[in-house]
Parts: sequence; structure tokens; C-alpha cells
Amino acid sequence: MTAPKIPDTCPRCDSHDVSLLTASPVPGRWFMYACGVCFYSWRSTEPGYATDPAAYPAAFKIDPTDIPKMLVVPSIPTRRGGTP
Amino acid sequence: MIMAYADLRDFLAALDRNGQLLRFTDPVPLEPDLGAAARAVSNVTDRGPALLFEDIDGYERARVALNVVGSWPNHALMLGLDKDTSLKEQFFAFARRADAFPVEAERVGTERVGTERADDAPWREHAVETDINLFHLLPLFRLNRYDAGSYIDKAAVVTRDPDDPENFDTQNVGIYRIQVKGTDRLGIQPVPAHDIGIHLRKAEERGENLPIAIAIGNEPVITTIAGMPLAYDESENEMAGAVQGAPYRIARAPLTGMDVPWGAEVVIEGEIIGGVREIEGPFGEFTGFYSGGRRQPVIAVHRVHHRTDPIFEHLYLGRPWAELDYTVALNTSVPLYRQLKQDYPEVVAVNAMYTHGLLGIISVRPRYGGFAKAVGVRAMTTPHGLGYCKVIIVVDDTVDPFNLAQVMWSLSVKFHPAHDLVVLPDLSILPLDPSSEPPGISHKVVLDATTPIAPEQRGHFSQEVDQPAGTQEWENRIKRLLT
Repeated sequence: MTAPKIPDTCPRCDSHDVSLLTASPVPGRWFMYACGVCFYSWRSTEPGYATDPAAYPAAFKIDPTDIPKMLVVPSIPTRRGGTP
Repeated sequence: MIMAYADLRDFLAALDRNGQLLRFTDPVPLEPDLGAAARAVSNVTDRGPALLFEDIDGYERARVALNVVGSWPNHALMLGLDKDTSLKEQFFAFARRADAFPVEAERVGTERVGTERADDAPWREHAVETDINLFHLLPLFRLNRYDAGSYIDKAAVVTRDPDDPENFDTQNVGIYRIQVKGTDRLGIQPVPAHDIGIHLRKAEERGENLPIAIAIGNEPVITTIAGMPLAYDESENEMAGAVQGAPYRIARAPLTGMDVPWGAEVVIEGEIIGGVREIEGPFGEFTGFYSGGRRQPVIAVHRVHHRTDPIFEHLYLGRPWAELDYTVALNTSVPLYRQLKQDYPEVVAVNAMYTHGLLGIISVRPRYGGFAKAVGVRAMTTPHGLGYCKVIIVVDDTVDPFNLAQVMWSLSVKFHPAHDLVVLPDLSILPLDPSSEPPGISHKVVLDATTPIAPEQRGHFSQEVDQPAGTQEWENRIKRLLT
């Protein structure tokens, strides 16, 4: 099978930092892609709700500018006898 | 004599012998079919089989096992009991065996950390250190529609206390959701209240990474105990030995020195990277709702050990009931029962199997008026209760808390809203409870459905309808005729 055409947009956060995650062990069955911004991943054979930016529901969309504001769990402690 | 299962394959064979395993040899797409099948089997029945898929799209020989403990017969077989054992009998068997804790583990292989001497654990057959690709090793897939990606959610995750790394008792075996973000990079959710959260905090205070081993595809007892609320210094391996009635067999993971199940299909070794947090989730959780996205720790994978053609065991969770609810039913009820029983021997049984104990039912023989309410409040101050036990229903000792028809009868006729409702404001709860506001804080409530006794004299309970004489004999006779 020829090299995959990597999608240019993440279905979830609409950013353009998409890369090939892996290809099926049996060549040509499917490819997986990953977003370098929100770490969403998907398989080329999944239904449109998981792969199409226009079909991804608003309630689950992620705005990349919100990521740095997300809750940190667990919080990072101060190093003993030093700075964090 | 209790039979311990050597590994996942041994347990699948036992399920097969008992008619509790369905094999699918036709080709199956990973999404949405595998998640849908695991959801479906719990929708259909609470006596359902495990599902074994043997032809996965895009793989030569991959296999996926789902719903392995996802029914009461499978849960009974896990305990080595007859598959028709009632839930209440399973509860008392589990509780009796837990009393044998600790049962010292059986360590196979004597190698020291860092040496390369082989031992006989089946997962030592292959080791991969370069060009690791977890997606080629295992048929990873999206479980619920809007999960962030592929997850590992039923692995025995092992870490040690960085301040006391030789201590076997504080070595932790837990189950945590793990997002597979890259071919050798994982995201993990170590909640601060859990033992792994304590280990990570200490590692980060020391300015270190936290070594971690992740064992996938195990016999069912260790993963059930890994999800059991135990004290920080109580060993899951020693509780697994108690519950299976034989020393739990472990082997040492050579890179990290973690003690992992001897019979695992796959063992991943790596480190949680200290000081790093990265977006993880959302993931469809056991509450029946997705967790939001949060910034959580990341694991770098350094080595993977595996059997030839390993089986990927995975667990469906979502709106109860699903496999998760079976795996955390009695492992949650039994510790609460044991802790309450220490203070109040009048406690007869505890059913805390609703959403990991967010709701629980306690049957008790009240000593005097107000006693049942105190027992209900005590459940909320047990270690597990601090994050759960939002709704506690207390019923009389004559009511089976596992029989919801009896519990509803008690509530409907014995509960008086003016006297039997205790609301405690703003207590701690797990932040995943979607009703908590702010996340992690909620009121809690005790519903006292026991019969009022002195000095509390109210209601009209003196003329309860008894069973006709001979009912028990007739029950036995009818049961015999039905089998």
C-alpha cells in the first residue's frame, strides 16, 4: 500500500500538528494518526464521529488555548531542600 | 480445597469448561465493534460469558479477551466456587478468605535487580528494547466513542515507595487508566489519594522519575485485588494469596525490580517522568460519564516483555452495569464490612457495589435507637468512604442487602423522612462524581430503613407478616423440581 495521506487537521482540537502514529501490522488495513497538541489519536477505519473535524461534537472539542489552564492532577510537589 | 489459576489462559479454559466463554473466529474491526460487544454482553445478562476475539482486523494472530469477570458466574469461578453460587454466598466467602490476610507470596526466580538471569515466567519469552511499538504488540482500540484514544485499563500497575524501595508491603499493585499516546509513551492517572500518588509525590520531592511495571493479561484475582481499597502498607499480593487460598505467584521484572504476576501476558517496564504533566483524557468512566481532560503524568516505556502471541485483556466501563462493576463489587464491599465489623459486630453484611461504593447498603442488628444512623455515618469515615459512600442505606439484620426488592421494601415502609434522613454537608468525595460541586465536595446522606427500637418508639411495626410454617421446606422442594 502506498504511504498514507496524513490528515492536516485534528478532529478534536482542529490544530495542524498531526503525525502518523502507526500502520497496521498487516499492511494496508489501516493507519493511526496522533495530534501533537491535544494527544487525540484515531484510526483511519473509524466512523466519521471520531475522524472528521466537522462531525466531532462541540461538547468534546478542545480549544488548544485551554490546555495550559487545565487542572494538574496530581499537583507537582516542591523538591526536598530545594526548588521545584 | 481452593484452586488458584496460574494465568489468564488457565482461567479462560475454566470459563470454557463451564460454558462461560464465547469465541469469535470471524474477522472483527477494532472500532466500534470490540467496545460495542463488551457493552452489549452486560446489557443482555448478568450471567454472561467472557468474549474472546481471535481474528482482529489488521493483525496476524492478535487476540482480545473482554468481559472476563463480567458476570456473577464468572466472578464465582474466579473465587473457585460453583458458577451458580449466590452473590451473598460469594460475599461471605470473599470476606472469610480476606481474614487469612496476609498470605506470603511465592516468588519465582531468585535473580537480583539489574541482573539478566532468566527465570521461567512465561512473559520472559520475548523482550523488546528498541523500536518499541505497543500498537503492533497489542491490538489497542478505542473503547467509548469520545475517549481520547486507545487505553490500557485492566493492567496490574506496580510501583515502590522511593523512600523505602525494599519494603514489600508498601509496594503497590493498582489499576489506573493508561492512555497510549505514542508507540512507547503513555499517560497515566495517579490520583493523589491512591498509593501510586503517594509514590509519585515522594519521587518528585526527591527530584526523580518513578520506575513502574505494567502487567497486562493476568489471572483474575490480582486485578480484582488491585482495585480493592487496602491500607498503604497492606500488600495486594498477600491479599490475592488470601482470596485465592494459595500463595500468589510473582516474578521480578528485571529492569525495574518490580514484583509482577508470574503469569502475565505482557510486562511493560518504564518510568513516570518526574515533574511532567500533559493533557490526558477525556475517558468514559465508571460513573457513566466522561472525565474531563486534565494535565496528568507521562510514562516513558523502556522495555516490553511478552509471551508469543499475547492475549490483550481489556475491560469495558461506562454506565453501570458493565465488567468494571462486577470487578469492584465485592472487593469494595468486603473491606467496608471488615472495617465496620471491627467497631460494630452487629453489622451483618455490606453491599457497596453501586458505582464502587458511591451508594452502599448496610444490614445491621441495631442495639438501641439511633444506632443504625451511627453505623451509616461510620461507613463515610472509613478510608474508602472518604471518597465514596455518598448515599448509605441501613437495613435490619433480617434484610438481605444484596436483595434490592427487600431493601426497597424496607425503605418504603420503615423509612420516615422526618426522622430517618441524616444529611452531612460538604464532605469529601471523588472528583469524578459528576454531581460534586466543586469537584471533590458533596453532601452525604444516611437513609435509616431499620425498624425503630427503644428508646425510639414510633410507627406500627409490631405485627409483621411471618412466613407460613414449612415455607423453607417448600422452597427446597421447588428448587429441586426446577433443576
